[in-house]
Amino acid sequence: MKKIIIILSIVTVVIMGATSFNSCKPSEAVMARSGAQIWGETCIRCHNPADPASFSDTEWDVAAMHMQIRANLTADEIKKVTEFLQSAN
Amino acid sequence: MENFKKIAIGGFSLIMALSFSVNAQDTTSTFDRQAEQNNPSNIDMKPGKSKMMLRGYYHTGFENTTMGDESDNQFNFGNIAPILMYKQSDKLFFEAEFEGEFEDGEFHWTVEYADVSYILNDYMTVRAGKFILPFGTFMEKLHPAWINRLATRPLGFGHDGIAPSSDVGVELRGAFHTGSIKLNYQAYVVNGPRLKTGMDEPDEAGMLMFGMGAFGDNNNNKAFGGRLGVLPFTNSSLELGFSGMTAKVGDKETIYEDVRANLYALDLNYVKNLNFIKSVVDIKGQYNYSQVDDANYTVPDDTLGLYYDFNNVSTAYYAQVSIRPSMSGNNLLRKLELVGRYSVMETPEGSLWESNPTQTAIGLNYWIDWRTVLKFGYQTTDGGSGGHSEEGEESVESPTANMFYVHLAIGF
Repeated sequence: MKKIIIILSIVTVVIMGATSFNSCKPSEAVMARSGAQIWGETCIRCHNPADPASFSDTEWDVAAMHMQIRANLTADEIKKVTEFLQSAN
Repeated sequence: MENFKKIAIGGFSLIMALSFSVNAQDTTSTFDRQAEQNNPSNIDMKPGKSKMMLRGYYHTGFENTTMGDESDNQFNFGNIAPILMYKQSDKLFFEAEFEGEFEDGEFHWTVEYADVSYILNDYMTVRAGKFILPFGTFMEKLHPAWINRLATRPLGFGHDGIAPSSDVGVELRGAFHTGSIKLNYQAYVVNGPRLKTGMDEPDEAGMLMFGMGAFGDNNNNKAFGGRLGVLPFTNSSLELGFSGMTAKVGDKETIYEDVRANLYALDLNYVKNLNFIKSVVDIKGQYNYSQVDDANYTVPDDTLGLYYDFNNVSTAYYAQVSIRPSMSGNNLLRKLELVGRYSVMETPEGSLWESNPTQTAIGLNYWIDWRTVLKFGYQTTDGGSGGHSEEGEESVESPTANMFYVHLAIGF
């Protein structure tokens, strides 16, 4: 138990330090990532990037919410990816 | 009396006439509505606020296993896992996965998870129900057959594993960027694992039982845990994660009531397109550590009331590398993937379930499309199913088990 508390404390301090250092704002490089880029780089961390034609706009809307929660995508990331998939299907 | 009869008959006739009229209108309008909805040009024109989707996966295959002098080969039904996803609004989401497989000659359905999520804000989602625990990444993100690069799980996961799978409770999760670094987190409270005391299965005394949360809590102490993931690069190619869980695991009002378990996991995930070899390289790994407080367990078949104990620490880890030339000019090469995995599990010395298996697995995958894969694999496991033949005697080690398999997995 003590170990968990110590490790979590260290992790929390690191996060808070990094957050305050960067003012908790995404960098310009992060903001500049397109939906296609996020789709190609993020989906592949677990599975092959989905073919946009696999689902309808409505289905992508549902699948995107599932992935936002399951894969811990930020609101900005999932918005861009969903727009890309719905435009490319 | 006569007037009453006339009024009654008249009223009944009027009600019947109105009823037929209303039904006729309803039939017509229902027919029109269905015709309108079935018109292909109207599909997706005006989607409702609530949306539902049925997805899932299935896998099946052929396996040939040899252990010592014994050999066995069979077609394997595998399992089917339909997933229901329901988006009620931009904030509210429900999902459930049902897993069906044959076990002991009968087909069983189980609920892998069923949970409701509510998006509180851009950085925070709360969910409740039965969910897969974020203990590392394998169980939560990588175990589905169409995602897992091999047809088997690494040592330490699944039945008799040391890593938790799913449980019932409440979880808070989210992700955010700070500069170029992305952080994600999960924190949860669940019913928690249970300690096997050896009363039902003497050979498994001291082992933890996971996934029992749906059946209730065996004590009033809840398990607390969470995971923190760090993606240091803008392109999300690398993720490092730390997970932990702590809980009292013994049944209440027994001598095991205060026995506590502490579990940790470290995970790594690196996936990158390497242009110079025109391939995607995928490296994954997870280290699991489980420590349960010392406790006395009854010696099996003993009539004198003798007890034994042991240092109840278990570890397991795996490392996996796969490479797929997905940028090759050759169409066949683009669909092929080579994968190798090494995993080790070490259970407590002195326990009746002591074993130190190591497993090496290699595979060649043919991707029919992005979510359908044909897997050819071979794995060899040494030192499995150990333990003591009897109290105090030397441990018994199983012979090497080898398996060749061909599996087909489809995500739908």
